[in-house]
Amino acid sequence: MNAKIKETLLNPIFKGNPITVLVLGICSSLAVTVTLKGALVMALSVMFVTGLSSVVLSILRNTIPSRVRIIVQLVVVAMMVILVDQILKSFEATYPIDKQLSVYISLIITNCIVMGRIEAFALGNKPFPSFLDGIANGAGYGLVLIVVAFFRELLGSGTLFGLQVLPSCYVTNNLVILPPFALILLGCIVWVQRSIQKDLQEK
Amino acid sequence: MNMNTNNNFYTVIYTTIVVVVVAAVLAFVSQSLKERQEANEKADTISQMLTAAQFGSKASFQKIGNSATIAKYLEEISEAYTVNAAGEKVAELPLDKVYSPKELKAQNRLIKNGGDVQIPVFVFKNGTTVLPIYGAGLWGPIWGYIAFDSDNSIIGAYFDHESETAGLGSRIKDDPEFQAQFKAQQPAFGESEIFAIVKGGAPKDASGADIVDNKIDAITGATMTSKGLDEAINAWLGAYSAHMKAQPNIVEE
Amino acid sequence: MEYLSLFVKSIFVDNMIFAYFLGMCSYLAVSKNVKTASGLGVAVMFVLLVTTPVNYLLNKYVLGPDALIDGVDLSFLSVIIFIAVIAAIVQIVEMVVEKFAPALYSALGIFLPLIAVNCAILGGSLFMQQKEFSGVGESCVYALGSGIGWFLAIVALAAIREKMAYSNVPAALKGLGITFITVGLMGMAFMTFMGISL
Repeated sequence: MNAKIKETLLNPIFKGNPITVLVLGICSSLAVTVTLKGALVMALSVMFVTGLSSVVLSILRNTIPSRVRIIVQLVVVAMMVILVDQILKSFEATYPIDKQLSVYISLIITNCIVMGRIEAFALGNKPFPSFLDGIANGAGYGLVLIVVAFFRELLGSGTLFGLQVLPSCYVTNNLVILPPFALILLGCIVWVQRSIQKDLQEK
Repeated sequence: MNMNTNNNFYTVIYTTIVVVVVAAVLAFVSQSLKERQEANEKADTISQMLTAAQFGSKASFQKIGNSATIAKYLEEISEAYTVNAAGEKVAELPLDKVYSPKELKAQNRLIKNGGDVQIPVFVFKNGTTVLPIYGAGLWGPIWGYIAFDSDNSIIGAYFDHESETAGLGSRIKDDPEFQAQFKAQQPAFGESEIFAIVKGGAPKDASGADIVDNKIDAITGATMTSKGLDEAINAWLGAYSAHMKAQPNIVEE
Repeated sequence: MEYLSLFVKSIFVDNMIFAYFLGMCSYLAVSKNVKTASGLGVAVMFVLLVTTPVNYLLNKYVLGPDALIDGVDLSFLSVIIFIAVIAAIVQIVEMVVEKFAPALYSALGIFLPLIAVNCAILGGSLFMQQKEFSGVGESCVYALGSGIGWFLAIVALAAIREKMAYSNVPAALKGLGITFITVGLMGMAFMTFMGISL
């Protein structure tokens, strides 16, 4: 059992990375990687939502009629995200956090990773492994996000996490701030990964 | 439980139950939390207005908490009323009344369709006037508050948004330097272009410093959000033009 | 004519892929050859064309403030209702494709059900809500334009990828890697359309 758990946890980080191998979660990786802070918030949210929804849907997996499978999955995920948003909005201490997250809410609900992992894993596995799979995929996603955001924030604004890192004589590269550059960065990341893991290369 | 999950009857019942449960849960949660959420939103709106009027920074109001922020507002506000497009006062507002983004949205629709607007004006004891603006950004609505001195020059501004791009369009809210650009600018009330957010930068003087006029620099990489903000400001300040031009301290050139 | 300018604008200026970068996952994964790409493009176009007007009507008559019952604003439910409508339509499309085009069904794999979370489709409904169209007709034109824009984008990429299969791309960059870079470059080219008012 230990080996299987280990594989469930480690696979999505490199070999089965949701962004670079499974091609899931791309839209949000373009939108939120302008700053490292945004990337981190999004990564943690996706980890949380994917893990939790995987558990819930895994528990329900034997009861869902096959014809309405997609609707049930989406509705459950959407409900949980909206609930979290509503609760965070209600308390004075968490209201500012919610204001920051509200930008990401719709991006999380439609994040292909959540649906993709539910379809591919949670619907056919027990709750605990599904939870691990969800968390691990969120982490793999987060890793790529952080790498992309690192370059985009550093070269685009000269800052990291909002703190000025590059000297003020550095003229910020505006091309880097735009979404197409994130795509080019992702291409380079895939290049690096496949040079290391030759079995991922396409014929 | 050996149910045939493909059974039509089962499918319909299951879907109905799921829909009903989800709708009930969300409706219940939303209703019971509504008051708390509205209180938070109101305090946030008030802190935005106070920040625009330079009574403090947004962060400082967050620190002192909702009740202290509202108390500070009630201490500083002198009067609040609505005006119509001709600049005439329509109604007095209670001092603790502020407009939520939804209410601004309704007025925005009237401004765009040429309907009977009733837009709020907030006047503080120190002579500062605060006006709201509202419009469409790239991904969702944007809104904010601009504070004016008694000679109709801007003393500060604060903007907010629902879903602009983090690190780009969101800078209308998060970047104090962007907001600081508004200080000392003089919108041309009554003209066809009252204010401009210029892509590529507003004209500068010989030493490269910003000129005091009605133009500021747009946000690089956030053209659409800057454009949306420009349109929102022009639409709303246009609606307020008649009122602002009739202010007693204004000397016509 | 207003419909015409809205139509042209939604294809090029507000292109779902190149202006808003929505619907990327399936766009990148299913663009290996033109045939499958056009299959997915048509599916996305169809779902957009059906769901956007339906959601428009729901938004106007059920979800808006004072729409159903006076004093009740159900707009906080909009995201979830839109998603449910989209998911229902996608489920129907999935069943139809499985029955009438099994080769396309297996070629699309997981990306057919993923149309339900395709940000482009939800984006279509959410933008429609934001743009406040004056009638169902306008929302249909918008949906058709957005769908055609997405279709053109994916077929264009598939055509390029088919040609690139014959080029000397380094092994580690072949396939997904060079695709990312190509889309990035196409995106940069499309930025020229941004902000054009018709």
